[in-house]
Amino acid sequence: MNQKFHSGQIKQLLNRSLARLDQPTLARLRDARAQALARYDAHSAAPAFAWASLWTDHRHAADSHHKSHYLAAAVLLAAILFSGTAYWHHTVDHDVSDVDIAILTDDLPIEMYVD
Amino acid sequence: MIRIRFSVLAICITLLLQASLAVAAPYKSWTQLTPVQQEALQPLSTQWDSLSTKLQKNLLHAAKRYPKLTPEQKQRFQNRLEKWSKLTPEQRMRAREKFSAFSKVPPERREQVKQMVRQQEEASKTAASGVPPVAPVR
Repeated sequence: MNQKFHSGQIKQLLNRSLARLDQPTLARLRDARAQALARYDAHSAAPAFAWASLWTDHRHAADSHHKSHYLAAAVLLAAILFSGTAYWHHTVDHDVSDVDIAILTDDLPIEMYVD
Repeated sequence: MIRIRFSVLAICITLLLQASLAVAAPYKSWTQLTPVQQEALQPLSTQWDSLSTKLQKNLLHAAKRYPKLTPEQKQRFQNRLEKWSKLTPEQRMRAREKFSAFSKVPPERREQVKQMVRQQEEASKTAASGVPPVAPVR
C-alpha cells in the first residue's frame, strides 16, 4: 500500500483505466473538460479586460480630476490677484487721504504746493 | 474632496466679493452723509453731488479724521476745502508730491521756509490794507 508510483506509471494506469470506460462516461468526461476549459479561458481573460477598463476609467477620472484642480487653482489665483490689487488700491487711497488732510491742515497755505 | 472644493469656492467668492466692495467707489449724495461727515465737509454742501467719485472717496476718508483735529486745524481744513475741490486731479497729485517732498526736508529748514512764508503773507496783507508796516521797537 505504501508503494510509491512515478508520475509516468500513474499516467499509464489512468490511460489503461480510461480504455476500459464505456462511451457515455467518456462523453460526459469530455464535456466536463470542455466546460472547465471554457470557464478557465473566460476567467483568465476577464482580469485583463477589467484592468484595461479600470485603466481607461481611471485615466478619464484623473483627467477630469486634474482639470477641476487646475480650474480651482486658476480661480483661487484670480481671486487672490484681484483681492491684492483691490487691497493695494485701498491702501493707496488711504495714504492719499492722509496726505490730503495734512495739506488741508498744514501751517503753509495750499498755494505753496499748487502750481 | 467635495468639501475641499466647496471650501476653495467659498474662499474665492469671499475674496472676490471683498475686493469688489473695496474697488467699488461708494457714491453718496450729500443727504446720505452722516452728521459728522456733513459737519466736516460743510463748505462743499452745495457742490458735493457734482464732485467726482474719487474725490468724494478721498474727502470721506479725510473727514474720518476731522473730529480729532484741533479747532485751528478744523478751521484751516474747512477754509481750504473749496479751493482743494476745484483743483484738477493733476494739480492735486502734484501738490501731494510737493508736500511729501517738503516733509522730507530737515525740520529746521522747514521752519525757516514757514517763517519766510509767514513774513511774505504779513507783507502782502499790509500792502493790501495800505497801512505802512510798524517798525519793530528797539
